[in-house]
Amino acid sequence: MTANPITASRRHYEDLVLGEVIDLGQTLVTRDMIIGFAQEFDPLPFHLDEKAAKASLLGGLASSGWQTAALTLRLLGDSFLTRIASMGGLGFSDLKWKKPVMVGDTISGTATLSALRRSRHHPERGIVTIDLDIRNQRGEPVMTMRLANLVELRDPSLPLEAAQ
Amino acid sequence: MTRWFEDIVIDELFDLGSHHFTEAEIIRFGRLYDPQYFHVDPEAARHSHFGGLVASGWHTVSIGHRHMVDALDAEGERLRGLGEEPGISGPSPGVNRMDFKAPVRPGDTVHYTLKVTAKRQSASIPGWGLLFNTIEATNQHGELVYHAELVGFSKLRDYRMPLRLRLVMALTRVPVLGKLLAPANR
Repeated sequence: MTANPITASRRHYEDLVLGEVIDLGQTLVTRDMIIGFAQEFDPLPFHLDEKAAKASLLGGLASSGWQTAALTLRLLGDSFLTRIASMGGLGFSDLKWKKPVMVGDTISGTATLSALRRSRHHPERGIVTIDLDIRNQRGEPVMTMRLANLVELRDPSLPLEAAQ
Repeated sequence: MTRWFEDIVIDELFDLGSHHFTEAEIIRFGRLYDPQYFHVDPEAARHSHFGGLVASGWHTVSIGHRHMVDALDAEGERLRGLGEEPGISGPSPGVNRMDFKAPVRPGDTVHYTLKVTAKRQSASIPGWGLLFNTIEATNQHGELVYHAELVGFSKLRDYRMPLRLRLVMALTRVPVLGKLLAPANR
C-alpha cells in the first residue's frame, strides 16, 4: 500500500498515547442554532418552541441531543480527528444525555484516549477508544459517550503486539 | 404525538422511509460538524481507504432521527383521524450502542426501520416510561449501514400517582410545609 499523501504528516496510530487527554475547546449554543438544527433533524416541540419547551421534561428551550453530539464531534474534529490519520468512526456506545443544553449555554469538555488496539483483520489499521466528557459553563456534565475510531498505522508490518 | 406508552407493541416494525444522499448535502454536513477530508473533499477522499467521499456517520444518524420524528408525528395524525387522543413522546436519555457498518456514498438511498424491543416504567420520572428502540439503516444494495440501540421517554396514559406521592404534592401546597418539602422553593 502506498502512503496516503493527505495524512502523511499527521500523527498515526503509533504516535497516540494511552491516557492522553485532549482539550476540546468550547462552543456557545444559541437560540438560532437550536431551532435551526431542530427544524432540520429533530422537529419536536420542545426543541422548536419556548412555550412547549417550558411545559416539557426539559423545562425550557434545549438543544437536540443529536445537536449536542454534532457540536461535540466538531470540537473533536478540530482538536484531534483532523490532526491524526483518522480513517473514520466505527460507532459509539454509552451515549448519555445527562442534562439538557439550554439557550446560551457554553459547552466544553475533554476527550480521553482510553484504549488502543490493532485491528485483527486489517494490519494497517488501529482502533482508538475515545471517552468524551462534555460539560456546561457551570461544570455540570451534559453528555458522555465512548467512541471507537480507526487510525492508520505508519508501519503496518509491525507485529500486532508491538505497536502500542 | 405518537402512541401512549401502554399502546406500544413490542417488536412491531415501523417503516421510517428512505433518504437519498447527495454529494452537496454530505459536504455541507461535513463542513459544519465533521470536517474530516473524506467527508468534505471528494479529491482528497480518493486517497482514503473509502476510495471516495462518504457521509459522516452522524449525518446518516441525524437523518434517521428526523425520519423517526416524522413517523411519530404521522402516527399521531393517524390516531387523531380515528378520533383518538395521541400520546406524547419525550426526550431521550441516551444511546446504548451505535455501530456504523457500511459507508454512505453520494447517490446512495438509505432506508430506515424502527422497532421497540422492550419497555418499562421510569423509576425516576413518575408518569413516564422508557422505550428501548432499535433503528436499522440499509442501503439500496441491502447492506446494513448502521444498527442503533436507543432509549426514549414515552408518556403513560393511565398513570395514577401513588398515594404517598399525592400526599407529598398536597402538603407542598401548604405554605409553610411547602417551603420545607419542595426543593425548588429552597
